[in-house]
Amino acid sequence: MKSITTFITISILTGFIFAGEITGSEVIRKVYDRPTGEDMTANLTMVIENSRGNQRVREIKQYIKDFGDVEKKIMFFQAPADVKNTAFMNWSYDEASKSDDQWIYLPALKKVKRISSDSRSDYFMGSDFTYDDLGDRHPDEDLHKLLREEKVDGIDTYVVESIPKDKDYMYSRTITWVVKASWIGLRKEFYDEDGELLKILTVNEQKTFGDVVVLTNVKMENVQKNQLTVMKLKDVKINTGIPDNIFTERIMKRGMKK
Amino acid sequence: MLKLLVKLLKYPLPILIITLGITVFFVLKMKDNTRMETDLDKYMPQDHPAFIYSDQAAEWFDIKDGIIIAIQNPDGIYNTGTLTKIKRLTKDLQKMEKIEKQDVTSLYTADNIMGTEDGMDVKAFYKRVPDTPEKLDAIREKVRSNEMVFGRLVSEDETVSVVIARIDDDVFSQEFYEQILELGKSYEGPETVYVAGRPIVEGTMAELGPADMKRMVPVVIGVIILILLILLRSVKNMLLTMAVVLFSTIWTFGLLAVVNIPIYAVFTTIPVMLIAIGVADGIHLFSHLDLFLAANPNATRREATQDMLKEMWKPVVMTSVTTAVGFISLLTSQVYPIKYFGVFTAFGVLTAMLFSLLLIPSGVMLFGLPKGRKIKTPAGEGGAADEFSHKFAKGLLKYKSLTLGLTVIILAVSLYGTTKVWINSSFLDKFERDSEIVLTDQFINEHFGGTSTLNLILESKTGDAFKGPQLLTLVDEMTTDVETLPVVGSSFGLTDYLKRMNKVMHADDETFNTIPSSSDLVAQYLLLYEMSGDPENLWQVTDYDYSKLNVTFQLKSDDSKSINQALDHIEKYRKKFADNAVEMNFAGSGYKALVFTDLILEGQIASLILSLLIVVVLLSFMFKSVMAGITGTIPIIITAAISFGVMGLLGIPLSTTTALMSSISIGIGIDYAVHFIDRYRENMALTNDMELSIQRTMHHSGRAIVFNAAVVIAGFLVLLFSVFPPNRELGFLVSLNMFTSFLGTVTVMVLVIEKKKLFAGNSGSKKVNSKRSS
Repeated sequence: MKSITTFITISILTGFIFAGEITGSEVIRKVYDRPTGEDMTANLTMVIENSRGNQRVREIKQYIKDFGDVEKKIMFFQAPADVKNTAFMNWSYDEASKSDDQWIYLPALKKVKRISSDSRSDYFMGSDFTYDDLGDRHPDEDLHKLLREEKVDGIDTYVVESIPKDKDYMYSRTITWVVKASWIGLRKEFYDEDGELLKILTVNEQKTFGDVVVLTNVKMENVQKNQLTVMKLKDVKINTGIPDNIFTERIMKRGMKK
Repeated sequence: MLKLLVKLLKYPLPILIITLGITVFFVLKMKDNTRMETDLDKYMPQDHPAFIYSDQAAEWFDIKDGIIIAIQNPDGIYNTGTLTKIKRLTKDLQKMEKIEKQDVTSLYTADNIMGTEDGMDVKAFYKRVPDTPEKLDAIREKVRSNEMVFGRLVSEDETVSVVIARIDDDVFSQEFYEQILELGKSYEGPETVYVAGRPIVEGTMAELGPADMKRMVPVVIGVIILILLILLRSVKNMLLTMAVVLFSTIWTFGLLAVVNIPIYAVFTTIPVMLIAIGVADGIHLFSHLDLFLAANPNATRREATQDMLKEMWKPVVMTSVTTAVGFISLLTSQVYPIKYFGVFTAFGVLTAMLFSLLLIPSGVMLFGLPKGRKIKTPAGEGGAADEFSHKFAKGLLKYKSLTLGLTVIILAVSLYGTTKVWINSSFLDKFERDSEIVLTDQFINEHFGGTSTLNLILESKTGDAFKGPQLLTLVDEMTTDVETLPVVGSSFGLTDYLKRMNKVMHADDETFNTIPSSSDLVAQYLLLYEMSGDPENLWQVTDYDYSKLNVTFQLKSDDSKSINQALDHIEKYRKKFADNAVEMNFAGSGYKALVFTDLILEGQIASLILSLLIVVVLLSFMFKSVMAGITGTIPIIITAAISFGVMGLLGIPLSTTTALMSSISIGIGIDYAVHFIDRYRENMALTNDMELSIQRTMHHSGRAIVFNAAVVIAGFLVLLFSVFPPNRELGFLVSLNMFTSFLGTVTVMVLVIEKKKLFAGNSGSKKVNSKRSS
């Protein structure tokens, strides 16, 4: 099953692992294959800071629901004021060959428009996250290798290197530090086509909701451009039973009633 | 001073050895520490407001110069082969170590944002190269309907497409340049590949200029040696004279290496100056020696050398000091290479003086007097001058009004020509009209917006100012208006993105190719663009809080006239923008070059005036007569006037090199005047007869001046065969300046001397006598 969130929710694996016998591929599979919550509501604050220290802050209210073979997400911009009520909807399919469906509602235009894009390496809203970084990349798309086991700040982790099978992919490899106890990717390094370190993802804060762990503060740092993005989640609610029918153009226009 | 010099005559060998020793030291230093400075940014004063602003803007908007590689296929670019080449070339450039991946733009990398029935489509024009006619046609249609690509990346006749690689200033090196050219070449056939853009022009210039000089300088020196041999009729004298030139040049460049200053392009004119000065000193000394020996055939080595020093040390020192001071006046320039040029040329001139007074006498002492020399004309002790000088002086005085009349006419024409002089900061204009680089540039200008860029920076103090439709409409109006100029090919800025988005979101309806109607809509389009396009592109046209804009104009030419034309047109909008609390500024390498050239010229004019004043004061002191001081500037003024006049009439623009020629012409002009006036004063002191003094001076100094002019003119005329136009201009102007300086000295200045009765009367001779006894 495709994970329910784009980047935030990782459930704790309950089960037993045969220590020492695990392969890199299995580690990544464990991270990918966890049971997750049904839906999530949260307020997302995205802070993008460029090399000159200038910041742009965006506040977004988001609803995400897992429908099995498709994950639907709807986002309403709250701030800055001139984009308030702009809505963005994304349907992401489990089927690898099927690309996402996306819609945008611009209140100043009063129209919902479909967006089709063929690039999953596009950066998400000018942040340092690509759509690919946000969504879970299917384990089969890369070759994984367990490099070592390492203690990071007292936490036992597996260090896994993943090399994409597609040679033209935007990263030549990534290295993930996966917490042994929870299967959370604590840190991830992205290397560019020339094999140089491009970005570092770090988890600054995580919260547990029942059996679901939500990463509530993640930072992506582009070390080449000296630019970073921090995504913070507030007012997180898990499994509140978001109705199926909110993921429509009508709701994008009208907005969510409280 | 004279006593010291005469004393030193006893030690010719040690002098020679010490000189050689120091020279060897400098040569070794040069080997270790000499480097050329080719980064043009390094020439510009970093603290000048225009440059500070431009560099700041370059950082805000990531403004870089682009290398443009154009692929032409006369049958059209929409075929599998050409599209494959565009893709592969793009990837090759992206893989180059010194090029950032996102700085390469081509049809392959471009996003096609287009409107569809129910929304918006963001797709690459192609990823896999299309191989069916239908797919190729589809690309053609997509490009045609996207005005952000059509005419920018693909020419309107669809036979040329460009790949643009933006590079940092410091990236460019000879190696990189050759790599790029080679890469371009490897994609030839059946397509033709053109490589252009400012970095390429700068690179070619940095290569061609010095390479051409390297070829030409040996010929120049060869010709000078030959003429010196003919005139001096002695290998020894020629060698000694050339040694002065050579050693002073080595010392100057050696000192540059010691103090760790790189060689700037303008420094190539230092040897020019040192040749002119060094040869002059040598010729005047040997010419005097000749005349002395003709009059005293039985004089010993020592007697002859002593007399030479006694009679000539003063004019040699005077000419050198005045010339050096003239060059030091270049310190007023704001441009560091020009300051250095002034100081180090002054140093070179003074070392040339030192060598003339030490090395030449020592050489004569060591190697003996020139042998077998005969001067045709009988010249008794203080007797009549030789026939030609005699006749010339007579004729000159007889046809006074004719000479003066002609001078007035020539000066009038020159002044008219001076008004036509124009300043040019263009790099392209430095190349032959039919050279590959100029033709390539023309080719790309014909098919695309233009190879030169000018950046207009609009700045507001208010955040989100450039989300307002009113202000954006004004920007759009301005760019549309400026684009009507023939010299402006196209413009590019935030408004282009907004118009495109507005059109796309209205199902590609052309009537919506306008600025959106509300600031909220602008903000929402921008958000949408960030989400779906490449937001990096936005930060090249605006800043994070939308309070600044960068509008790029593509110009068809990089010459100052074109840039100024565009600037003037844009300036008309300054008030309108000011009414909206928006400030206008300019940036970019073309603009910097323009400001830089203006700076150099301002400095040149200031230092020209300053050095004229200094020369008047110095000469007045030296000759103890203000009138003599003023008279001494006559050849300089004539030379400068004719030099600028001819440049205006022949359409040679003022540039960094040609502007420096005015300093050099002053240096040369002073020399002639000083030698002549000094000798004339001596003669007046002896005879107190103006006509006789003029005749004798003509015979003595006049002869040396002719020799000097002949040598340097012959040498520099060789540069007319250079393949690099700026070097040709240099050769022509140096020759012209030498000629007019010489002519002005022996005609107009002489007539003024006669008219003003300079040094006539007892007071003059008394002073001279008292000085000579010191």
